[in-house]
Order: sequence, then C-alpha cells, then structure tokens
Amino acid sequence: MKPVIEVHDLGIEFYRGRKRRMSLREMILKRQNTSPRDTFWALRHITFDVQAGEAVGLIGGNGGGKSTLLKMIAGVLIPDEGYARVRKGVAPLIELTGGFLGELTARENVYLAAGLHGMPTEEVDERYEGIVDFAGPQVRAAMQMPYRHFSSGMKVRLAFSLITTLDQPIVLVDEVLAVGDRSFREKCYVRMEDMLSGGKTLFLVSHSAGDLKRFAERGLYLRGGGLVADGPIKEVLKEYHRHTDANS
Amino acid sequence: MILVRQFRGLMANRQVLRTLVKRDLRVRYARSMLGYVWTILDPLAMSLIYLVVFTLIFTSKRAGNQPFFMSLIIGMLAWQWFNQSLTETSRALLSEARLVRSTSLPRELWVVRVVLAKGIEYIYSLPVIIFFAAFYIIRGELRLNWTLVYFPVAVLLIFLLATGIGLILAPVTVLVTDMTRVVRIVIRMTFYATPILYSAQAAPEALRRILVFNPLSGIMELLRTGFFDTQHVSRAAVLVSVVASVGAVIIGSALFTRLEPAVLKEI
Repeated sequence: MKPVIEVHDLGIEFYRGRKRRMSLREMILKRQNTSPRDTFWALRHITFDVQAGEAVGLIGGNGGGKSTLLKMIAGVLIPDEGYARVRKGVAPLIELTGGFLGELTARENVYLAAGLHGMPTEEVDERYEGIVDFAGPQVRAAMQMPYRHFSSGMKVRLAFSLITTLDQPIVLVDEVLAVGDRSFREKCYVRMEDMLSGGKTLFLVSHSAGDLKRFAERGLYLRGGGLVADGPIKEVLKEYHRHTDANS
Repeated sequence: MILVRQFRGLMANRQVLRTLVKRDLRVRYARSMLGYVWTILDPLAMSLIYLVVFTLIFTSKRAGNQPFFMSLIIGMLAWQWFNQSLTETSRALLSEARLVRSTSLPRELWVVRVVLAKGIEYIYSLPVIIFFAAFYIIRGELRLNWTLVYFPVAVLLIFLLATGIGLILAPVTVLVTDMTRVVRIVIRMTFYATPILYSAQAAPEALRRILVFNPLSGIMELLRTGFFDTQHVSRAAVLVSVVASVGAVIIGSALFTRLEPAVLKEI
C-alpha cells in the first residue's frame, strides 16, 4: 500500500534578516534589498513516509522546524526543495480559529468555516447539533451571538469541535491541546482517541511527553532543521531527553 | 499549461468560492439594506457632482454622449467595480492572512473571490442604469439600439482584466511594502485617463491616440454603445481591451505561481 504521507528530501529556506520584503524606494534607488541577504534552511533533507492509520509524534526543541514541517504537509507552505506528497484529505488543527469571522454569528461561522474546508451545507446541517454539543452548553447558549463576543476558550472549543468533525483521514495537530480548561481537554483527548481507533492518521506536535506517549506510536525527532531520529516514540523521546540533558 | 491547472483548481473549489463570496456579501449587507444603499450611493453622488461641474460650471457640450448623466452613471458604476477590485485584491492575501495560512485552498481563490464579490455588487447596481434609462426613454432623450448586446461582453472583459491585474498585485503587495500607496495613486490617475467623465471621441486627436492604449477605453465604449447612437466604437480600442484582459490573466497567473512560495513565507 502506498504511504498516505510521503516526504522526500524536503527543504525550505527562510531569510534570517529583519525582513525580506523590499520597499519600492529601495528597489528603484539601490536596485537591491538593503537588509543582508542572509538565509538559513529551517528544514533540509527530510525524508520519511507515513502509512495510513499511523500515529506520529513530532519531537524537538523550539525552532527545530516542527511547525514548519506540519505546515508543508498541510499545504500552507511550499517547499524550496523536494516535496511533501499527501494522498488524502487533511484536517489541520493549526490556527484553529483562522476561518472564523468576528462580525458574523457563531452559527453562520460554523457553516462558513465548514464550507471553507469543503463540507457541503446539507452535511453541516446533519452534524450541526453534534458540533455544538461537543463545544459545550456555554457555547450552545451563545450560537446566535456575534463570534467576537466569545471568550477565547469558547472560540477554540467551537473551532476544535468543527475541525475534528470534518472527518478527514489525516489529522494534523499543532499544540492546540494546551488550550481550553481541564474538562474540555479531557474531552479532546477522548475525541482524538476515537479518531485514532477509527483508523485515522495522526500527526502530532507537542512538547508534552505525556501527550506524545498517549497518542503516538512513532516519533520523529527534528533538530537544527534535520531529521535525527525516527522510531518508536519511547526511544525517540529518550534520545531527545538525552540530547537536551547533554546540552544543559 | 499552467493556466489550465489553476483553472481546474478553482473549479474544484467552486463550492468554497461560493461560500467566500456569500460571506463577503453577507458581511457587507449584514446590517439590512444600508449595504445596498452604499453600493449605489457613492457612484450616484459622484455622478451628480460631475454633472453639476461639467454642465453648469464648465458648460461643456463636447464632453460626449447626451444625456450626459446617463453616460456618467454607466461609466461610474463600472469604474467602481474595477477600482474596488484592484484596491481590495492588492490587499487580498494580507487581509485574509489567517485564512490563507490555515487552509490549503488554491491561493488564486482569494483574488478571484474579491473580483467576483465586487462583480455581483455591480450586477446588483444595474437596476440603477435600467431606472435612468427608462426615465430618459420616457422623456424621449434616449434610444436603445441593438449594440446593447456588447454590454455583457464588456462586463466579462472587466472581470478578466481586474482578475489578471489582481493576480499580479496581490503577491507583489505582500513582498513590496509600499505597493498599496502606489496602487492608490495609479488608480486615481487611471480614473482621469479613462473615458468615464467624457467619451473618447470628444478628446482631441492627439490624446485620442493615447487613449486607445488604455484597455478601459474599449470597455467603456462597449458598455455605452447600446445606449447612445453617438458613441463611437473604435476597433483598435476594443482590440487593446481584449488583448490586455486576456494577457493580464495569463501574466497574472504565471507571476502568481512564481511568487507563491515566497508569499507564503511572508504572511
């Protein structure tokens, strides 16, 4: 069977300088960008495959390229080298509230955001009750209110509920579990376990060893833009701890 | 062929496109009818001002077609669509940065969606033209002719031209910081360089030869010819419009694809 995620020799280069943008004045007068053209590879030579149904945890310190990798798999960044091929639909739990608009009511937002992720209106009708139920009674009571009056916790709860209802075979999670209060977090865990046992492929970024051990079987360790370890999550975590301990 | 791939991407996401356009319109018309009033109030008010300035103060008989107000309103409404499309497409990727960053939709969508939403507002404003046309016809000052069939052609050309230029402006504005200001100035200059307040045939010969190269000239002529027997349609101007509109779309999509990776890193 072909892997659902195929990453081959992936690399992306960023500008280290203050900015990459040029002002028109600079372009005309100096004919070049005045800030130094200093670049670095946030990720380079990354190669791995993920099979359907696998649960992968991404491990690494800050600036290791975890989020960047996730964004390229989600298709919201384009690599400069190599490719990240994804064969099935993706539900990105990155920037959860991105598709929501403050001026509209929460209810309208559910329909619009679901539409943005490709869910037809009839299907939203069917799942609407489920989405609101999961987000909790506090959110249910406020569905006719403009979304901007929501507390940040309520916003995230509604968004998480919506995106996980999308039913895409691949789920990308970027540290979103840190939000919400304790009882909601527990609900999120249960929902994620449900998705996993339902045969979905999970890609998880987290700094919490507990979360990683709970959900992921396989670990990928990113350091300095390279993939330094790929194996069972416990061993990769051990390796990560060994590295960080050695450096501190 | 790159254009085919982009077009397919858009067609595959037409449901999303519809959702986005609907969202734009809903936000704009969220507070009842007032949204609609704004759509038509601005061009109406401006047309009235120009009417006073040019018929009462400068008393110019050469400005072009009669009734002058009719000619003005046709031009102003189309100009509003074009103008707003460019102003907003140049900010399209920046103002929706959060959405662009969180969905993997074809990025051209963010441009097309603006032009389309503004285009629908333009269609909504057409009853104004119908109203004034009826008014002048009843007073016997206006007669329609069969060349009215060119009107939808002109609408299509505006759509293509605005989309093409928008595809160029959107990524460039992300990479070049002061582009928005340049766009604003260029748009204001274009307003006077386009036969909106006047008709091309009223301009002196030398100027007319330059006007032909403004793609909006031909479009304006096609829009008006069905209403005015006096409206001259220059073949050269129309040819320029068609070539420029199609060319803008081709160049725009190529440039957009080229700049896309850099743009995504910036927003």
